[in-house]
Amino acid sequence: MGHRLTTSRLGRRSVAVLAVASVGVLAACSSSSSGSSTSSSTSPSAKGSSGKITIAFNMGAEADPFFIAMNVGAAAEAKKLGVNLIWQGDPSVYSPATQIPIADQLLAEHPSALVIAPTDPAALQPVVNQALAQGIPVVNVDTHVNDISKVLSFITGNNQQGGAVAADAMAKAMHYQSGHSYQVVVGMSSPTTTTNVARLAGFKAEIAKKYPGIKIMSVAYSESVAATANANVNNWLTKYPNLKGIFAIDGTNATGAAAALQAHGLVGKIALVGYDAYATNVALLQQHVFAALIAQQPTLEGQMAIADIVKYLRSGKSKAGIQHLVTLPNIVLTPSTPASVLAKYTYPTA
Amino acid sequence: MSSVTDKPAKPASTAVAASPGRLRSLLTNQQFLLLVALAALVAYFTSRDSVFISSGEVATMLATFSELILMAVGETYVIITGGIDLSVGATAGFAGVVAAFAMRDLLAGHSPEALVLTVGTVICAAVGVGIGLVNAILMNWARLVPFVATLITLGAATGMSLVLTGGAPIGADAAAINLAAARIGPLPYLALIVLVIVAVCWVYLHLSRYGRYTFAIGSNAFAARAAGINVRRHTTSVYVLSGLLAGLTGMVFYMQLGSGAPSSGNGAELPAIAAVVIGGVSLFGGMGRLTGTILGALILTVVQSGLIIANVSPNYSQVAIAICIAIAASLQALRPQNRSQT
Repeated sequence: MGHRLTTSRLGRRSVAVLAVASVGVLAACSSSSSGSSTSSSTSPSAKGSSGKITIAFNMGAEADPFFIAMNVGAAAEAKKLGVNLIWQGDPSVYSPATQIPIADQLLAEHPSALVIAPTDPAALQPVVNQALAQGIPVVNVDTHVNDISKVLSFITGNNQQGGAVAADAMAKAMHYQSGHSYQVVVGMSSPTTTTNVARLAGFKAEIAKKYPGIKIMSVAYSESVAATANANVNNWLTKYPNLKGIFAIDGTNATGAAAALQAHGLVGKIALVGYDAYATNVALLQQHVFAALIAQQPTLEGQMAIADIVKYLRSGKSKAGIQHLVTLPNIVLTPSTPASVLAKYTYPTA
Repeated sequence: MSSVTDKPAKPASTAVAASPGRLRSLLTNQQFLLLVALAALVAYFTSRDSVFISSGEVATMLATFSELILMAVGETYVIITGGIDLSVGATAGFAGVVAAFAMRDLLAGHSPEALVLTVGTVICAAVGVGIGLVNAILMNWARLVPFVATLITLGAATGMSLVLTGGAPIGADAAAINLAAARIGPLPYLALIVLVIVAVCWVYLHLSRYGRYTFAIGSNAFAARAAGINVRRHTTSVYVLSGLLAGLTGMVFYMQLGSGAPSSGNGAELPAIAAVVIGGVSLFGGMGRLTGTILGALILTVVQSGLIIANVSPNYSQVAIAICIAIAASLQALRPQNRSQT
């Protein structure tokens, strides 16, 4: 009963000071963000300008570093070829529920062409069909709809091959010798992320084929949260004291696993192969925290999609010279990769 | 002894159960039952693999616990007032990201690590307080219910994190990771700091006038106002506190990851609320103990780590966690005074 903490006035004053400070911080952030977002996308109002080609580009989560890198490639190619680019997707949600209304809106503006990275092969099929019915040619990029027979081209990265080269890179980093056994674990985001699933399939197939001594002890999900990925790896490090390798199957898992190895002083002792060449990951690769990083080529995907469309439209809608299915290999980066090559594959930020 | 509507059976809990009545009250004491559940889980996972109670694994679990408990403590205050704060996870992620930009620039300028982390902590706290204030403004002046107000800031903070970072983590601070990993025995220093903050919050909630007001408002806001409590000002301060603790969580994330990852707070409000609910705090407000929340957070942490140590297939993990929550939460129904009150 007799307790009386008389700190409430002091507390109130310090709260007020912090509040003022935070308003300043928030204001600073919002101004810097508006600056960056205007520079990243081309004005949608450009579509009306007489006879100029306008390409609508629609994807799942616009703020994903993968799509930001794709935007850089697409925007550069559009500028080079003198066409307009409307770049639009949900800011953060990778889902057909948010993608479909945006795609419909884009079609209502009657663009000259539509480039789309569908978040679901079935759910986005009607959007693609409608575009084709309106006489708008469609290119699929990264992911595809179920029926791509009428799609001009489909340009994608090869995730299965990426998983296979990840296995090769890991085996090399842990100096694999037949007759020995090697415990490894795999961190993925969820069992329904298609890219994750393809990479894991490629990884497992390559191990079965070439490295019988490698044993996958455990797979865990991060639900796309770096802190969870980090906790998973921390737990594995206690569970498997003889762990030899970690395959961090996407950017989030790579971040969490890299921090766990650093915290346990195990850098260089466990072969960590990560995915996605974020600038931070490339820096960690150069410090040998990653034994290898597998990079996709989103910038090139974006560039090729625009090039295909423009070629088609400017040649009187002839498909000559346009490859229907383009599969770009995933690239292995290691600490010994020359800096110029690393720079080439590091995902650019808008 | 502490709050207006606290459990009547509590003051004698330090005494050894001697009489049959005492024994019965102990067996129906939810905190005691949670402790039993926690012990049973620890015993089970240890039986699966004794490495579970090794000092390294305990340190890992305390690190995970540190990421959860501050948000859960803030959530406890908010839920006791009868509200809810959905924005804690997003606030943690956003605060960590904003601070990471500043810390990255300071590190690039070769500032000493201590200064860098201090500045980062202040920024995290400030961002958290700012979002807490926005929540309070939306509720008190725009008259939105807590669920909607904090849903708005949840979306805004999540989106802002992505806009600022482009989805990629910011910074690569190996020194911060090493500091976060430093420990005495199984106790990381970072977890020690977090536990001190939790202890201060416990004192404030259960032994101060501030805490009594918090319970009074959740119990009956009209009566609290009639009794002379400035309800609007008090709830504002509670949401600011929740924001502050969530902001500090952003710093915990930064130190453990060595970077500000925009995804680190995604969905983190759910385990925070789950810890509070498991801990027996009533979602209707006015009732609960912070020790319950601590036990709830410990149970969630033990299950999360234990499933990996026991090598349970990850597809079953979510189901297993849900079952644990169901069992722990249903323990509330065993409490006689709870039955009569609800």
